[in-house]
Amino acid sequence: MTAASVLFVRLIVRPLGREPVRTALTIFAVALGVAVVAAIHLAGSAATGSFQSSLETLTGDADYEISAVGGIDEKLLARLQALPHPLQFFPRIEGYAWLAPDRISVPVFGFDLIGDRSLDTVAQTESFELDQLTADDSVWAGSALASETGRQLRLTMNDQTREFTVHGILDVSAENGAARSNIVVMDIGAAQRAFGKEGRLDRIEVFIPPQDGRDWESIITASLPEGVTLSRQGSRSDENRKMLSAFRWNVRVLSYISLIVGAFLIYNTIAISVVRRRNEIGIMRALGAGRNAVTLAFLGEAGCLGVVGTAIGIGLGWLMADSAVDMMAATVRSLYVSSTPGDVLFTPEPLLVAVASGVGVSLLAALAPAREAANVAPSEAMARGRHETTARLRIGRFLAYAGLLAAGAWGAAQLDPIGGMPLFGYLSALLIIAATALATPAIVNALTRLLTPLLRAIFGAQGILAPRSLSASPARTSVLVTALSTAVAMLVSVGIMVGSYRDTVIVWLDERLRADFYVQTVGQRDARQYPTMDPAVADRIEALPQVAAVDRFRAYEIRYRGRPSIIGSGQSEILIRHGRLGFLDGSSNKDVLTALGSGDRVIITETFSNRHGLDSGDTLRLPLGGRMVDLEIVGVYYDYSNEGGAVIVDRKTILKYLPDPAPSNLAIYLADGIDSETARPAIEKAAGSHSVTVADHRTLRTRALEVFDRTFTITYALEVIAIVVAILGMAGALAALVIDRRGEIGVLRFLGASQGQVRGLVLFESGLIGLFSNAIGLLLGSLLSLVLIFVVNKQSFGWTIQFHWPAAMLIGALTFIYAAALIAGIYPARVAARLNPIEVVHEE
Amino acid sequence: MKRAFCILMLAATAAVGFDMARPGYDYQFPRDHFSHPNFETEWWYYTGNLHTRQGRRFGFELTFFRYAIREEAEGASPWNIRDLYLAHLTLSDIAGQRFYKTDRLNRAGPGLAGTDAEKALIWNGNWRVQWLDPAMPKGALRLTAYADEFWLELDLSPLKPPVFHGADGVSRKAAGEGKASHYISFTRLAVSGSLALQSETYDVKGLAWMDHEFSTDSLGADQMGWDWMSIQLDDHSDLMLYRMRRSDGTADPHSSGTYIDANGRARHLSWSQIRMTPIPESDWKSPVTGGVYPLTWKVEIPHLDLRLTGTTDLDDQEVVSERRVGPSYWEGAMNFSGQKGGKPIAGVGYLEMAGYDKPLQLGPQDP
Repeated sequence: MTAASVLFVRLIVRPLGREPVRTALTIFAVALGVAVVAAIHLAGSAATGSFQSSLETLTGDADYEISAVGGIDEKLLARLQALPHPLQFFPRIEGYAWLAPDRISVPVFGFDLIGDRSLDTVAQTESFELDQLTADDSVWAGSALASETGRQLRLTMNDQTREFTVHGILDVSAENGAARSNIVVMDIGAAQRAFGKEGRLDRIEVFIPPQDGRDWESIITASLPEGVTLSRQGSRSDENRKMLSAFRWNVRVLSYISLIVGAFLIYNTIAISVVRRRNEIGIMRALGAGRNAVTLAFLGEAGCLGVVGTAIGIGLGWLMADSAVDMMAATVRSLYVSSTPGDVLFTPEPLLVAVASGVGVSLLAALAPAREAANVAPSEAMARGRHETTARLRIGRFLAYAGLLAAGAWGAAQLDPIGGMPLFGYLSALLIIAATALATPAIVNALTRLLTPLLRAIFGAQGILAPRSLSASPARTSVLVTALSTAVAMLVSVGIMVGSYRDTVIVWLDERLRADFYVQTVGQRDARQYPTMDPAVADRIEALPQVAAVDRFRAYEIRYRGRPSIIGSGQSEILIRHGRLGFLDGSSNKDVLTALGSGDRVIITETFSNRHGLDSGDTLRLPLGGRMVDLEIVGVYYDYSNEGGAVIVDRKTILKYLPDPAPSNLAIYLADGIDSETARPAIEKAAGSHSVTVADHRTLRTRALEVFDRTFTITYALEVIAIVVAILGMAGALAALVIDRRGEIGVLRFLGASQGQVRGLVLFESGLIGLFSNAIGLLLGSLLSLVLIFVVNKQSFGWTIQFHWPAAMLIGALTFIYAAALIAGIYPARVAARLNPIEVVHEE
Repeated sequence: MKRAFCILMLAATAAVGFDMARPGYDYQFPRDHFSHPNFETEWWYYTGNLHTRQGRRFGFELTFFRYAIREEAEGASPWNIRDLYLAHLTLSDIAGQRFYKTDRLNRAGPGLAGTDAEKALIWNGNWRVQWLDPAMPKGALRLTAYADEFWLELDLSPLKPPVFHGADGVSRKAAGEGKASHYISFTRLAVSGSLALQSETYDVKGLAWMDHEFSTDSLGADQMGWDWMSIQLDDHSDLMLYRMRRSDGTADPHSSGTYIDANGRARHLSWSQIRMTPIPESDWKSPVTGGVYPLTWKVEIPHLDLRLTGTTDLDDQEVVSERRVGPSYWEGAMNFSGQKGGKPIAGVGYLEMAGYDKPLQLGPQDP
């Protein structure tokens, strides 16, 4: 055995082995932190990267796609196919079907099943009669939807619910099988009828010949009418990825919180180890061990904890990834784009990130205490208390650093995003956390001094002893408080942000949802799906005597400067009388909406305005119905329904360019004095056999908030894990504290303190730590929430969120954490109470 | 493994409701150059032998098929199917000893494939035959076709008026009413234009042949397939021969031919006036379909004192549908040489042999 390994075994391995519970707790804390990071990394691609697969993998690698707002005139296809070039053009219809029994929305693709050669390599069906090909009820289904040919599927497309016969099961290969297995394919004509898109195509896919390097882009573009655009295949995916990158970033950053908390705990563990093994260190040094050897030994301890924790964490992360995918996919679906999550793929990248962050953070956190251990002079080894004095002496310097960092944080918060990423916002948040960590010893000291008289008055002897023992070892206490308060702060800040956001949305919803009823097609709708209904439904409802007005809303997907968005149309004359929009500049509804109703004018959402730097008075140029249309922006309004933003024109304007009268949604305003519940049966009757839902504004509000809450599930899940990590760490650290102070406790018991009193003392201490952590966490969290709301959110998403304290939620959470801190004290308290006073005093 | 989206078209609908080829048909142009939707099956074949100025030789085939699925499309959507349009495009590179083939299948759709008498156009995507002057459909045609590896841009000028094969306006295929087709040819089309192969462009000249045939259920029940030949001789006379093969290996006596003299006058040849015999030693077995095709033929028309041997310079000219829609057949550029009236004579032509891998059926079918 070499000298170094002897040193390592004596200094590290044996002490660790003597305290299996504390070691396990630390490892578990690291493992959880790593698990969260790994899970989010693993889930990220699956949850946000799969939307591109279902169509693109089904049809092979098209090179380009042609599209237009509101679809392409199908006659263009023949003109393109006749071009004197070896190009292949294949038409596509895209839509979604609602599968009522499974409560899922599945993508439906209309292909030219006769002529489309891009299908040759990817799908298969069994034989069928040619007559069935074009039939309205013929579908081909992915294997997740139907197991065998001949099965019936009951699907709702637009406002029609019908039985469809499965004529073949689509070949699902291993690659991207999950994305492909729940799709529905129809022949193009049947798909056009199902989605009310007769005569139009959603897209035309273009295949260019291999090894022919002509400038196809120019050649094809020259043959396209105005308003019809050619884009590289996959650019939609790129746009989606770009759109989702802010979301992925924020979730990733959140996932590191647990790891930061874990870092504090590693620091704490190593710091405690150093203090507790000062005797051994002194002896080793006296026997000739060098400073570096001691540093390495303690770094080795951190490394061991890190490696074991990381290994367990990767396994845990793997287990957690599926739930993370579900949670992230829910957010993606309701806020961004309809997508089917893919499989979690174990690629090396998340593995490397997990190892690097787990082991790296452990070593980094241990650096300071390990170096401190190296500074222990052999002669000092027996002298107690010196370390604590040093720590106290440094408090002033720490406070100065904290001030510097806080100033840096303030400065970073003022800076613009880089490439749409609020990188300086994150930096600002990190600096605030660091500043608070540095200021914590001072705050703990101050709080202790402040509280001691009060506690003495209330609790007597325990009231003096507990705070005193805490302030007697400020370094350890502070780290403990920092770890827990960081976790609390994260909870508080995200809680405030989400709460404020939710409150803002509620206010907006109440303002916005002024109609008595809302009608849309059945099925829960993901973002960027726009099924339409028969215009006759709206006409019939409007004709009812109980109804004052029906606002027909129609939405189309658009792309503006490489970003997906929505163009919607409503009836401004009805909105003027009944509706209410909040405009950023405070303009009156009547003025703006009157302007909107006259000519090629548009109002845009705040997010759209922020993203593209457009404002009232600017002109928006959009391709509509085969030409470029200049729309004058007459207002910017608050909207929280869609991350990509929207532009709204009057119904008359959209019909001029895209003459499809089918609405996507209806808002129904009842005549004065009509009770909504008495009007409902008449409205439902007017809807007839069409598969539409009639919801009052309360239902719609509830539904919107459900979507909202689902969106933030993952956020809450990450918070809870961070808290769990902190609490686990605290239990371990308190136990160490107790063992460290066994002499002191022994003396107390020797002097006549009962077991119950000792137990109470330790519990009191953990209660104080909880209290301090809550106080500091609340303060830190509030600061962080300002950064999140006004810097990170504003720069990532562009929403205006009104600051709001979610008081009930915060009180609940803090109470829970305080209780958890107390519970964390139970194990160390039992350890303390079980100490045999005689033995302990004898040791001393 | 490449698996096809196999649309197995079990579409052998009964020929009820469609017209049959009956004697006494009155050919009228431009009408009869385009679609006859009342007949179930119709095709337009363009084949030809081309050469560059340096003597590099090519053969080509561009064929448009129309198969009626039903008499009337249901509903208003252009995507509803009445006819299926299949097309084959091949290029025989004699010098490079390679045969290029590709095909496509479409419905009429919103203008994807079909024929248009007004525009004087027959097309399937960007494979097109366009009369340059729609008002004069006996004038020159422009044939254009584009594929990944090659393309054709050819001007075709008829050197003789259209020929109606058979007797009394019908070309008989078997015994029985309607077992026949209406059959029109341009037997001698002067070609000039260009073609590209593997990004090399060639100016070409040569002779092409056009067949346009429409019928309903024309094959006899025991017929396995046919052998067909077009021959364009140095003395400006042309010859078309076909032999309907029965399952017992014999030729159906309704097989026949047409002799077109240098002035464009056509003479019907009955089977008894024709000898066309494959030379078994010339058999070539297709590695793809397993069909065994004889590639050398003896042709004799005794009363014309015409004796010819037909050979090919490229064995593999088998057209196998990539999507296995429609029948597989051998269709290739041929050279002919022999004697006519005791004097040596030579010529070019095309040979088609169908039903060698399995019994022939018309219309798209099970692969």
